[in-house]
Amino acid sequence: MEKQIVTMHEAHDEHEAHEGGGRACMSRRQFLLSGGAVITLAAVPGGLTFAAQALKADYPKVKIGSLSALKLGKPVTFAYPYPGVRNILVRLGAPAGAGVGKDSDVVAFNQQCTHMGGPLDGTYKDKHQVLGPCPLHLTTFDLTRHGMVVSGHGTESLPQIVLETQGDDIYAVGVLGLIHGYSANINGRRS
Amino acid sequence: MSEKDKSSAFGVFAKDYVPLPPKNAEVFTTACDYCTVACGYKVYRWPVGKEGGSAKAQNAIGVDFPHQLMNTAAWVSPSQHNIVRHQGKPHHVVVVPDKDAKVVNVGGNHSVRGGTLAQKCYNPENRTSERLLYPMIRVRGTLMPVSWDLATEVMADISKYIIAKHGEHAWAIKMYSYQYFENTYAITRLGMTSIGTPSIAPHDKCANTNDATGLDDAGIDSFAASYQDWADAEVAFLSGVDPYETKTTLFTTWMMPGDKKFIFVTPHKTMGVAWAEKEGRGMWLPIIPGTDTALHMAIARIVIENNWQDQEFIDTWVAKQWDVDEGYGRGTRNTGWQWRTTWGNWQSDWEDYKKFILAQEESKLDVAAKITGLKAEDIRKAAEWIAKPVNGKRPKTSFMLEKGNYWSNNYMNTASLSALGLICGAGNRPGRMISRGGGHQRGMMGAGGGSGWLIPEKYPGRRKKDFNLDRWLMAGEIKFAWVFGTTWVAAMMASQALSDKMQQLTRGNPHQISNLDRAAIFETLKKRVDSGGMVMVDSDIYPCVPVGTEYADIVLPAATWGEDNFTRCNSERRLRLYSKFYDAPGDAKPDWWAVQKFAKKMGLDGYDWKDSNDIFEEAARFGRGGVLNYHPLVTQAKEKHVKGHELLRSYGTEGIQTPIRVRDGKLVGTQRLHDPSNNWGEMEQAEVQSPFMHAFNTHSGKAILLKSPWKFAGWIQFYEAVKPRAEKGEIWVTNGRINETWQSGFDDLRKPYLSQRWPYPFLIVHPNDARKKGIESGDFVQVHNDTVYVQTGQPQGVLDADLNFNNLMKDGHIKTTEGQFVAVAIVSDEMREGVAMANFNFPGAPANSVVSAVPDPVTNNYRYKLGRGVLTKMGESPYKHSFTAMSLKPRNIV
Repeated sequence: MEKQIVTMHEAHDEHEAHEGGGRACMSRRQFLLSGGAVITLAAVPGGLTFAAQALKADYPKVKIGSLSALKLGKPVTFAYPYPGVRNILVRLGAPAGAGVGKDSDVVAFNQQCTHMGGPLDGTYKDKHQVLGPCPLHLTTFDLTRHGMVVSGHGTESLPQIVLETQGDDIYAVGVLGLIHGYSANINGRRS
Repeated sequence: MSEKDKSSAFGVFAKDYVPLPPKNAEVFTTACDYCTVACGYKVYRWPVGKEGGSAKAQNAIGVDFPHQLMNTAAWVSPSQHNIVRHQGKPHHVVVVPDKDAKVVNVGGNHSVRGGTLAQKCYNPENRTSERLLYPMIRVRGTLMPVSWDLATEVMADISKYIIAKHGEHAWAIKMYSYQYFENTYAITRLGMTSIGTPSIAPHDKCANTNDATGLDDAGIDSFAASYQDWADAEVAFLSGVDPYETKTTLFTTWMMPGDKKFIFVTPHKTMGVAWAEKEGRGMWLPIIPGTDTALHMAIARIVIENNWQDQEFIDTWVAKQWDVDEGYGRGTRNTGWQWRTTWGNWQSDWEDYKKFILAQEESKLDVAAKITGLKAEDIRKAAEWIAKPVNGKRPKTSFMLEKGNYWSNNYMNTASLSALGLICGAGNRPGRMISRGGGHQRGMMGAGGGSGWLIPEKYPGRRKKDFNLDRWLMAGEIKFAWVFGTTWVAAMMASQALSDKMQQLTRGNPHQISNLDRAAIFETLKKRVDSGGMVMVDSDIYPCVPVGTEYADIVLPAATWGEDNFTRCNSERRLRLYSKFYDAPGDAKPDWWAVQKFAKKMGLDGYDWKDSNDIFEEAARFGRGGVLNYHPLVTQAKEKHVKGHELLRSYGTEGIQTPIRVRDGKLVGTQRLHDPSNNWGEMEQAEVQSPFMHAFNTHSGKAILLKSPWKFAGWIQFYEAVKPRAEKGEIWVTNGRINETWQSGFDDLRKPYLSQRWPYPFLIVHPNDARKKGIESGDFVQVHNDTVYVQTGQPQGVLDADLNFNNLMKDGHIKTTEGQFVAVAIVSDEMREGVAMANFNFPGAPANSVVSAVPDPVTNNYRYKLGRGVLTKMGESPYKHSFTAMSLKPRNIV
């Protein structure tokens, strides 16, 4: 595996007015009472499942930021699991699949469109917690739902960087989904 | 090998590995199975265990992985891979857009539909395991496996009986019009040529009519344009369509680049609309459903009053009174066209049209603004964009129409758009065309024949109408119906009323098959049909709800895309071979094979095809002289002693645009129809010059301006009757498609990724409409219309007014039914207030249930988009708070 280089800086993103208190955050208990009751819909706002533990075993664990330094709706960028793989870390202000932090709203995603690799840098729309549209063919991705395509032509969700927290520190521990341009995120992977 | 094993760390489809084809993988060319654009694809196939490596020299993609290549199709996404059987052995396939494509999807552009084609291939380890694998007969309600022989013998026994006793018109076919020339030729040969029944309707219509009928009467072929024309246009007037949402690469490859201006006429502000507006080159005209005619007339009036019309084009290419009368428009006999064009309502010439427009109350800007719900200044601006000369130069404007236009007021919306386009100088030259955007691909190759004289309906005058299969079924006149690959119920109007009747005629009849003895089945089915019931056969790839799952006595498993060699054209008439590359599952057979098997059991002659190529070659002569003519290709293949399919294969993903002609012994495609530069005079080989190639498709070769009086009784009475009623709290509930779901979602609901995106149908509602009913995104919402009109009986038109809505009602030919469906709300201001959009044709939620089944009396086509209903919140759906399924975000975030 190549050496990991982690970079982190305030991204120059396009921001829209955040709705602030207008969006009620749901507690974990409320969540389980509503969506959690339906068995076909997996929802893991907090701890990792067994399968996610398996995913962790393949990937490096790298500190990428801290909860206290994150500003609501202001993404920061970092590279993971290789230099040149551009991701954003963002606090959405709304609970999200695999979100961390006390409100389960801190997530990280790769920034290359899963359609044809277009750059999603600077396209975060915090009013809707959406990344995009891709400048090439206008795909948008829902960051509250594991990077699912909202509209457009990506044939996969946006790869999600799986996070863990230890105290205030945020660690990247794996990648959910194949990064554009790769045939395997981790060398030696076989079906 | 499982498609599922690595996809569920968080309950979502997400793999982080995809196998690459080795250097020596076999390569096949094909095109996408879905939308009308038909992007070119390559299929790489190799045996399991022989994967390629990530270095350029080790894989067939020919690049190093990982790479940072952008905007090429040099990546393989996990959804583009599958494991299939080839000659019984497991093989990997990757199905990727052709990165070397020079046409259609240049450079390998693609949609989310085509980009997930690999996932449609049969793989018993995922939901494609629901494919139909063997013929079945329903015994006491349950489908039981049988042989092809027994299934087709049973069909032949009862068919012979029905045709002898009840007549050919009691024997019906409901078929797709697009699923490849080989199948459509075989099916129409059976139905029209051999059996000779008039009871045939295509997938999207109750009768075998044309779609954009006003274009036809004007002399414009619906698919005259090429994609290059949409690129060359400086202004695109898009009526009832956002090509981004349903014709992806036509928009993203051909229309987005450059500085073209876009006018979108649709109540739904989709992504393409929002993008164009943000770019400063788009205009959104959020029209009230059904009112396009008033908009077209208002724009035409502004053009005429400002003298912006293209007079030179009009003088050369628009028919004068004398040209119109000479040929009665298209001049055909015993068709709707003759009725439409000879009774004086519509046809016109420039002077008369001008007078007509200036005399219309509804063409006045303020009146039209009120009817259409648009701002007067927006209508004026649209007129300026499309026609106002800048520095003495006229803008190059093309006019696209699709279902929002012609499925809301079929005749008048298409007639008025064609007239508007013609006076602006569009119709037969580069970048200035009038064409449909297209829905399905062009895969109909009719074998001819039929028996129109058996049709029980007629127009005023002596002319027969096209056969309305739904009404024939509702009247209990169908004794045998063979359904080929179409949803029928959910795709037609007043769907629930139609479904109830089907149930009554099949499972509701006391005579049900109780064992698999051929003679016993025959006795049972005889009693069924003689007691007023119907026998149904459903050919499909999946269990089709409800026709296959609940009503059909016999279900036949079809083989489809990738499972046999097939051909068809796209919306620029580009013909390609869709290669076979893997084994059809189980005992599934292509529909042409099932037709052949049945025809032999019937003792019919001329069904001796060895393979699909035999049909391709035989069908060639039936397309001669038409828009899809590929006869010269088959002629040349014979000269070269190769199969027609194989010669076409050599054209790869580029294919060749029909009509095909020959020059200096070489096959030459046709970029654009009606274009005078196509006039070659004398033709080589056995071909003759077709006038529609170099002139408009009328008797005179000149286009016909059509009038469209808003108060025409055949329209306005119906429109007033089906509008939302304020006192009931109704709103418009129109319906449409989105990128991620192709038609009924027959594949997409089984693709691992797309089934998570859309597990349930949506209803997009404006926030103000939602607020009144306490509806939030993610709620289950019922849409209910307590007054859904269904036309019944076989009304005979004698006097002009007989087939208009009020007369039908008075004469007892309108039955009042009700309809409802449930969907998941997405609350978003992307909709015009007062108009909600439902997901068309989603299984279990027939949006067409709230639309009336009363066809346009001029054309016999339904007005599919004019639904209405009351919205009621039913509670929260599980998707409201899910993290894994069904994003509820607005679709037009820019």
